[in-house]
Amino acid sequence: MKTISPLKNILKKGLFGDHEGKNEVKLIEIKEISKLLIVQIAQYKNSSFQIENLNIDGLNLPNDALKVISNSDSRILWCGPKNWLLVSKKKDLLQILNKSFNETDFAVTDLSHSRAIIEIEGENSIEILKKGCPFNFNELKKDNCVNSVFNGLAITIDIINDNPYKIRLFTLRSFGESFYHSVSDACLEDGFKVV
Amino acid sequence: MLHIKCPYCGMRSQNEFAYGGDANVKRPELNKEVTDKEWDTFVYFRKSPRGKHLELWHHISGCRQWFKVQRDTLTHEIYKTAEIKEDI
Repeated sequence: MKTISPLKNILKKGLFGDHEGKNEVKLIEIKEISKLLIVQIAQYKNSSFQIENLNIDGLNLPNDALKVISNSDSRILWCGPKNWLLVSKKKDLLQILNKSFNETDFAVTDLSHSRAIIEIEGENSIEILKKGCPFNFNELKKDNCVNSVFNGLAITIDIINDNPYKIRLFTLRSFGESFYHSVSDACLEDGFKVV
Repeated sequence: MLHIKCPYCGMRSQNEFAYGGDANVKRPELNKEVTDKEWDTFVYFRKSPRGKHLELWHHISGCRQWFKVQRDTLTHEIYKTAEIKEDI
């Protein structure tokens, strides 16, 4: 099935907000990320399967809160006890997942078409998130993730890098437009560019 | 605003949670004969204590787990939180 970008007609490329007289390189950069495989993996409560035995694209499922395990193509986010979100550039990984996860122990759900993803990059990215999200961002480092809310919208935050910050934000596809406007409103003060 | 310590995720803002009611309520046992009064009590009657109260909360915008919270209804102080299978 062809992937249709949720924000294709929403994001307008260019410079916005208070950007005049500022070095363009230092402005916050916003872009939409699409064409990723997003899979929710949930282990049933009565399952006794040892997740240490699992290997997905060379990665194990993280067991610690807020932890992300990653390689150059895939990232596995801890979303709750026995609950993970796999995000990968490799679209064919889904077939491998369906084979390697036993139906009696795991529920594997393809969410690729039901999420909007915005990536923000720049030194002040955390300050933007602080404007709408009640989480204490001082605790978050590279390869951490958190489920929280941004102006009332449920989001997943994935810190890809922390020097400078590169943050991937996931929300429900139907929240995408509203979420993008919330984030861009928060960026106006600093100026931002959409690429 | 309250700050609630989710047993799975750590300290979070109240915005991420939903209140789930009194944690002391016990559903009548399965297949047991239940009188209308017992059922009525289980479904509708709740105590409203002034002071320590054991509550259910749902981390709806986080890990989506239910857990127990011991909270003071007068001061809103939270004494303890625990996983649903644990006793407080």
